[in-house]
Amino acid sequence: MIAKFLALAIFLVMFFFIVTEKFERHYVTLACGACMLVFVFGVCMRSPQAIFDTLNFHSIFTAEFWHAGAEATESSGGINWSTIIFIAGMMIMVEGMGKAGFFRWLCLKLAKLVDYKPVRIFVVFMLMAAFLSMFIDSITVILFLAAVTVELCQLLKCNPIPMILSEVFCANLGGSATMCGDPPNIIIGTSLHYAFSDFLTNTGLIAGISLIAVVIYFYICFHKQFAVKTGESTQPVHYPDPKEAITDPKLFGLSIGIFAIAVVLLITHANTGLTVAFIGMFVAVLTLIVHHAEITDLLKKVDYKTLLFFIGLFIVVGGLEQTGVLVLIADGISAICGSNAKLMVAVILWISAFASAFVDNIPFAATMIPVVQTLSQLQGVPLPTLAWTLSMGTDIGGSATPIGASANVVGISVASREGYPIGWGKYCKYCAPATIMVVAISMVCIYIRYF
Amino acid sequence: MSDSQVIITIGREYGSGGHAIAEELSKRLGLKFYDHNILDEVALEKGVDPETLRRYDEKPHKLFLSRSVKGHHSSAEVNVAYMQFDYLKKKAAQGESFIVVGRCAEGIFEGHPGLISIFILGNKEEKCKRVMELYHLSEQEALEKMRRHDEYRKRYHNNFCEDKWGDSRTYDLCINSSLKGLEVTTDVLEAYIRTRMDSGNKQ
Repeated sequence: MIAKFLALAIFLVMFFFIVTEKFERHYVTLACGACMLVFVFGVCMRSPQAIFDTLNFHSIFTAEFWHAGAEATESSGGINWSTIIFIAGMMIMVEGMGKAGFFRWLCLKLAKLVDYKPVRIFVVFMLMAAFLSMFIDSITVILFLAAVTVELCQLLKCNPIPMILSEVFCANLGGSATMCGDPPNIIIGTSLHYAFSDFLTNTGLIAGISLIAVVIYFYICFHKQFAVKTGESTQPVHYPDPKEAITDPKLFGLSIGIFAIAVVLLITHANTGLTVAFIGMFVAVLTLIVHHAEITDLLKKVDYKTLLFFIGLFIVVGGLEQTGVLVLIADGISAICGSNAKLMVAVILWISAFASAFVDNIPFAATMIPVVQTLSQLQGVPLPTLAWTLSMGTDIGGSATPIGASANVVGISVASREGYPIGWGKYCKYCAPATIMVVAISMVCIYIRYF
Repeated sequence: MSDSQVIITIGREYGSGGHAIAEELSKRLGLKFYDHNILDEVALEKGVDPETLRRYDEKPHKLFLSRSVKGHHSSAEVNVAYMQFDYLKKKAAQGESFIVVGRCAEGIFEGHPGLISIFILGNKEEKCKRVMELYHLSEQEALEKMRRHDEYRKRYHNNFCEDKWGDSRTYDLCINSSLKGLEVTTDVLEAYIRTRMDSGNKQ
């Protein structure tokens, strides 16, 4: 019992310090993880096995870690090294693409293709944000996209805020469509051994339907702001040339090639058996070979803080799991919903969405995975249904507020630093209703398809 | 930076007359003066409305309603602050000498050889009287306004700087403007600054 209380206390302290940002979040999760190992597993439980299971180093040295066989089983305990290696690999690949000028080139090329018409750019950039975020982390997508959006809007003499808000929303939505689009999905996928295609045919389908609704919604909200005023010239003096964005044509071509390989490997990994850890490592090695002259620079750009944050987080969640705290949460949800699976889906979906609107969705999703596993076992509700529900709730909920998802923060920051501050009121006025709409669409889709 | 470059930062309590003293010093010393007018310059550069930016000027961000990700911040207050810091740093890098009021300037330029940091405080009664006269407020309203603004300034400053707002160890010189009035305080500060400038601003 003491171990349960202590584990819960450590978890709550971790959450408090993550939210208050008093210290950098990787210090918080690592310190809390160390406390979990020493005090909960060591002092209270006296269980070296629990420490061994939670650190989970042994998993890296198994063949299944790199090439999944049919015997792979569902497990979520301890540090999820697959997630960490995959994210690290994708970080290196994305850094290589950024260095070659890929993202800026793509934004400018698309703007040129739609003849620099504001409404067309508005729609095309939403679709591009959604598509790129299916494979690349939404922070990187928004970082480049928002910067180009502001630049183009200044030339086109229109307000960039509507475009940035809709791009941020669509990036979060696109991230929900695939296993590698959003960290909660990577954790859900690697923990429960779902394939890229599993996400694409389940959350991907819901995200696709929602994207149509979202584009229409934002078009209705903002199209008047992009209307061409009579007598006003829409031809600025000079638009940036997409070709100027390419820093090195050879590296540019190779970076696109590596990205294409990553996409193909991810789409086919259920058939090839290659795990996401392998794919992450593979594309990282390819990128480092291609950018061999800048290996040190590329490795320095890896966001080690985020990786350390994940490691500490997994230890803390592992502590909750080992001490049985998460079973208590599952019991609580069971008590409310009983065997009513539809109610259970609604509770998980809306609670996940609401929580993710205000707190980091990564610790929330990591905590909820063992909970939905237990719920599935207790009530006989198919685990995939609950997993897709959790995925949509955590991925979409974050769009509701300025602090709900990392992409929101980056988009707001880029706009604000260019003189277009976005406060809570302005953000929530447009994005909160869109979030409610997409969560409702998700619920209807889940009900129709799985019940 | 040239040897003669000087960056004078003036922190102040609300109602102490610090802003007026800083403005007068800039005239006497012939230095460029920066306060919220930085936002006018920034807005002009970026082609945006300065009023929109002013709403977030020198205000603390809301702790539980903001978040940072990889050096990016969701708070408009923080982003507007960084725009001003960047502007001041750019001016300093260009070798410009200036006086700046507030904006965590002594923290931004900590270690800069041309830095002279000053904090102007005042007695509660004198500050209250000044605020009542300036804004035509009752005593109660003036006291509330002073309390609110000082609280904002403290939280804003301490969010960006390691050293604490109003702590004498943060500044080269702290002076109470209520004791001898704004005119004499300005004279004293002018003399102090000239002494520092004449000696090559050696610390």
